Amino acid sequence: MSAIVLRQAGKQYVSYAHEWDRLWEVLTRRPRHRSFQALSDINLMVPHGQVLGIVGKNGAGKSTLLKLMAGTLLPSAGSVEVNGRVAALLELGSGFHPEMTGRENVYLTGAIMGLTQAEIDRLYPEIVAFAGIGEFIDQPVKTYSSGMFVRLAFAVATCVEPDILIIDEALSVGDGAFARKSFERIKAIRDHGKTILFCSHSLYQVEAICNRVIWIDQGRVRVDGEPAAVVTAYNNFLAGEASASPDAATGVAAMTALPVHGTARLTGVVATVGGKNGSPLELETGRSDLQITTCFDSDPALPCPSVALAFLGEDQRIVTSAGTHNDGLTLARDPLGRGEVSVIFSKFPLLKGNYWLSVYLLGEDGVHVYDQAFAAVELRVSQRGLEQGLVSLPRRWLQPAGVGADRDRQQSL
Amino acid sequence: MAANLAQRFARNAVAGAVEPFKILFTQRTLLRLLIKRDIVNRTAGTILGGVWVLAQPALQMLAFWFLLDFVLKVKFPGQVPFLNYFLIGMVPWVLIAEVLGRSMTVLAEFSPLYRRSVFPLSILPVIPLLLAGLIYGTVFMITAAVLEGLLSALFAVGVVAALLVWLLPFCYLLAVIGLFVKDIAQVFPFVLTMAMYLTPILYMPEMLPEQFRGFLALNPFADIVALIHAVLQGQPFTAGQWVRPLLLWGLCLAPAWVLFRRTEPHMREAL
Repeated sequence: MSAIVLRQAGKQYVSYAHEWDRLWEVLTRRPRHRSFQALSDINLMVPHGQVLGIVGKNGAGKSTLLKLMAGTLLPSAGSVEVNGRVAALLELGSGFHPEMTGRENVYLTGAIMGLTQAEIDRLYPEIVAFAGIGEFIDQPVKTYSSGMFVRLAFAVATCVEPDILIIDEALSVGDGAFARKSFERIKAIRDHGKTILFCSHSLYQVEAICNRVIWIDQGRVRVDGEPAAVVTAYNNFLAGEASASPDAATGVAAMTALPVHGTARLTGVVATVGGKNGSPLELETGRSDLQITTCFDSDPALPCPSVALAFLGEDQRIVTSAGTHNDGLTLARDPLGRGEVSVIFSKFPLLKGNYWLSVYLLGEDGVHVYDQAFAAVELRVSQRGLEQGLVSLPRRWLQPAGVGADRDRQQSL
Repeated sequence: MAANLAQRFARNAVAGAVEPFKILFTQRTLLRLLIKRDIVNRTAGTILGGVWVLAQPALQMLAFWFLLDFVLKVKFPGQVPFLNYFLIGMVPWVLIAEVLGRSMTVLAEFSPLYRRSVFPLSILPVIPLLLAGLIYGTVFMITAAVLEGLLSALFAVGVVAALLVWLLPFCYLLAVIGLFVKDIAQVFPFVLTMAMYLTPILYMPEMLPEQFRGFLALNPFADIVALIHAVLQGQPFTAGQWVRPLLLWGLCLAPAWVLFRRTEPHMREAL
């Protein structure tokens, strides 16, 4: 038995000029609405234990699909079958009673999900500990900050031992420390063999935790398959849409002096070629040595972050990337949490053209993004030869010995 | 065709009477939480706390006594003292008015709970019923015990229980109407006030001019209040006063339940 089965499921949103038109339509069954087709003909089977990522542009129907599966929306066509207890994090603090205290809302949400009083009593300490909102738990939730709201909602949804967890963009909310903690929690739920449905604009996160990804476009499943393949296809699609080149000015300007409690931030990105630095930088293919130095500041209480960087082409596609986590390097930092790391790309292998360098400061697991400097440095690459394409591969040419004795030298680049 | 329709009507009427009780049982944890919070909210920030829930209606009764019995010394033609007659009719009326009035707004009031998450919507119309039943049931029990003797307190509990069951289909009906036709919610307090004046609470039916007395049969609340007076104070009553409210109840059960079930998917999307 699958966790979730959708058969030809569709959702049409309807709007009415007046609320009483809605009642009139229900009574007489004569249409009095304007409609909008958000999803059509979705066939989807999610086996138990699968982590399904959903990607797509805003308004593509991702959230509608999640709501259908969570049961907060009814399909207007087809059927949705869900087997198991569902916990859904669809919108910030939805399902909370604003006048009730955090404690009461925990019990309320538990009761809605079908838990008995005794079961909630047993889970309660864990929920409070995970949410970490201290004595505010006995205050009405209307007094909570949005961060506290989402922490409590997340703690309840994940502590009630759901069979199916549905998350819509919730990971991007909350401070760095909590985002990290919640990511750990999701991975733990995944490792317990539970089903997770996950929708995010962060393709990096989607690819990191999902074992299947569907790409929704204009209310239909466009691609369904392996995370790497779908994310690549989606990325290519986005690249095709983006016409403007990245704006170098938006990157480093965001690095302001803020306290780094519970998070980490970039404090500097410097690219150097032949003693010169700044942006744009002039490079020559196969000759220049590019050095990139990244400085960061982090909460010493957190594990040391990792650094990753990506080279973007004119069309904003990633040409190549590198990361300390991926390369197996654990960064060091001083007791205040400040650190610095440099990377050298000797004999710069990219061919002529303009490139942009983005730098990311990530959690120690290389997944959660603390900070980023998007298109922080512009690289203007020129070349002497006539090679075509994006990259010059290191190579050796060989010829059988004895043919043309005067030309038996090997050329290597 | 007609038999088929009657069968469907009967089936839905039974569902309308039985389903709310099933909900009452299966969602008891949730209902207890919501009702507890409502009572706490009413008296939030006060020193006496929950005492006010009962003290407030009690003070109201005291004010009536002061005005009608002590100051005005109103006298009634029958053997029942005016104050007793008035209070035994008034407390159930306040219950009815509170239940019906809150039913109109209950779906909008609790919308944060269901707008964007899974929630058993059909428990919501029961909340005003249970709340008013708890508060005014207690007040009525005490009033009856003080005015008519301890045995009457038992009858009073029975009267309130029966009244709550009778109000059930109207709660579901008004909840839907209140959400989708906001204009009716605006005019509803006026309707309730008028209904009170047209119901023999401040006067006895015999005090009405002969030609108006017949119109009381059109007011189901007049029947209900007459029955309450009959049970607790031995006032005369007619068979019509039993039959008419029961008939109305039976006729409303099916439409109320079907309407609620059919509009339920729309409630999350209505503003």
